[in-house]
Amino acid sequence: MSSLVAEAVQAELGAYEPWPDNACLYQPYQVEQITFPDYANCLSVKTFLHMCGLEFHTEVRTNAEEMSPSGKVPFIHVGAFLVSELDPIIAFVNTRGFQLSRDLDEGMKSEMRAYMALIENVMVNAELYLAWIDEAVSEEITKPRYGYIHPWPLNRLLPWQKQSNVRARLNSVGWAKKTMDEVCDEVKTCCQALAERLDSKQYFFGDKPTELDALVFGHLYTILTTRLPVSRFAEIVQQFSNLTAFCTRVEENFYKKYGRDF
Amino acid sequence: MADDVIDLQVWKGDWGLPTVDPACLSTLSYCRFSGVPLKLRKTGNPWRSPSGELPIMKHRNVTETKVSEIFSYLRKQNYGCDFALSNKQSADAVAFSSMLEEKLLPAILHLWWIDGKTFVDFTRPWYTKVLPFPLNFFIPGQKQKQASLRVSLTKGGTNVSDTELEAKIYKEAKECMNLLAYRLGKQEYFFGSTPSSLDALVFGYLAPILKAPLPNNQLQNHLKMCDNLCSLCNRILLRYFPPDPEEEAKKKKAEASKSQSSSDLQEFPNKKRNMVLAAIFALTAMAGYAFLSGIIQIDIVDDSNSTSNNTSSSYFSKPQTYKNEPVFEDNDGYDDE
Repeated sequence: MSSLVAEAVQAELGAYEPWPDNACLYQPYQVEQITFPDYANCLSVKTFLHMCGLEFHTEVRTNAEEMSPSGKVPFIHVGAFLVSELDPIIAFVNTRGFQLSRDLDEGMKSEMRAYMALIENVMVNAELYLAWIDEAVSEEITKPRYGYIHPWPLNRLLPWQKQSNVRARLNSVGWAKKTMDEVCDEVKTCCQALAERLDSKQYFFGDKPTELDALVFGHLYTILTTRLPVSRFAEIVQQFSNLTAFCTRVEENFYKKYGRDF
Repeated sequence: MADDVIDLQVWKGDWGLPTVDPACLSTLSYCRFSGVPLKLRKTGNPWRSPSGELPIMKHRNVTETKVSEIFSYLRKQNYGCDFALSNKQSADAVAFSSMLEEKLLPAILHLWWIDGKTFVDFTRPWYTKVLPFPLNFFIPGQKQKQASLRVSLTKGGTNVSDTELEAKIYKEAKECMNLLAYRLGKQEYFFGSTPSSLDALVFGYLAPILKAPLPNNQLQNHLKMCDNLCSLCNRILLRYFPPDPEEEAKKKKAEASKSQSSSDLQEFPNKKRNMVLAAIFALTAMAGYAFLSGIIQIDIVDDSNSTSNNTSSSYFSKPQTYKNEPVFEDNDGYDDE
């Protein structure tokens, strides 16, 4: 069942079902194949599930993108449902009674949603720009990785096709024509806003993690740890010491403490 | 002093709004909030804009067409309504404005440009009326294409059907309105008692939804349930855009002349011009036909005295005998052969 129509149905069906043991998350191969914008999305979803305390195991598939109901990775398989991307997954998990932002009042919840939209609007586009539009990164890193599992003509054609799709998408929101400097400015404004919001708190809304923390961690941690020929984004994030400290904190509390892998 | 006046071109207004386009409306209200000296021009012609979009802001030698860039330019010129905000409030403003762009804008684009019935019955006629003659044939289509690309590429995916996409974006837009309503609460504006850039953006997006008489407007129905957002829009409209006496007079005049003249003048506003164009076209066609089929012949004789346009027409002037056919000649002293 596709993720979008299914939402309403799930609210009915899934409300009292417990979380099954065999829930799994599908994603592309991490070491050889995945591109870093996709990796950021996968990491956000995993962190969110860990924060909810839900058990799942990760399945790597070369064709995860084609398997996904919306054409984007990652997606989770829980009981009879396939749900892809962070927002629908959050909605789905909420119907099972797990909601990280339960204790926030309505005003705080809308702020949280606004910051999540900020990440989607700026970070996601900036990552796509760096991965596919920037000449050095797309030729050296992204395209070879995206085509890694395919044999000869396809390992050229498919990355090329994906690149033109990404370019069309960025063009429609006016990002494709930006220069690298303008993109960096956007990223910097976004990080500044996040740093202001986080201030010196443990998490964005106090002592408990929320959906926003999972999303921010996924993206910033990816930017900080991925080695690329162009490292300007990482340099920008490193200027904000509370954001880097936040990433280490989440890594410690939800991954290292339990001996989990990413 | 004239150097400090900022030139702003926006789409024309309607339905009690100073301008109908969200981007133009946001820019205009931001200028009003921060008291920018404006030379406002309401136009229907985006031809001169470097990006093909309105609003266009010109100041000295700078031209900007994007809302965010206009805001930051004005901020650099020391015009702004965000200076009183704390750092955290500015961060919130950045976050909420991305939310508007991410969640509300796709639904607005869908509502105006992609929904087939609204586009054919409402949006296209409105823009055709406002745009000048040759542009009105392709600008609406072009804008529709841009809008549908924007919505399908950012919100859709390979396996997502149109109906699912539509359900998704309208759901997101309604959620977005709810979140805005929660955030606004009982305050006068988003950050206290003075308007900020966020208020300008929210007003720009919401006021057209509230005021435009679209045939099928589910967003309007939802917005009307959020009382505080509606009153925010009305408050801004009342306080910062008082009805312009000149325009009121113009409107009254137009209404008066409308009631006098017959209804077909309303339907064909350029009747006279069209008649003249049609007459010229018909005359040219008839003359061309007559000329080519040999009913009329123009004969220009090569004369040593004549100085002009002989060579260019000499192709047609093969010497012939003509008996009953009429002959068109210059009277300037040319002779027959």
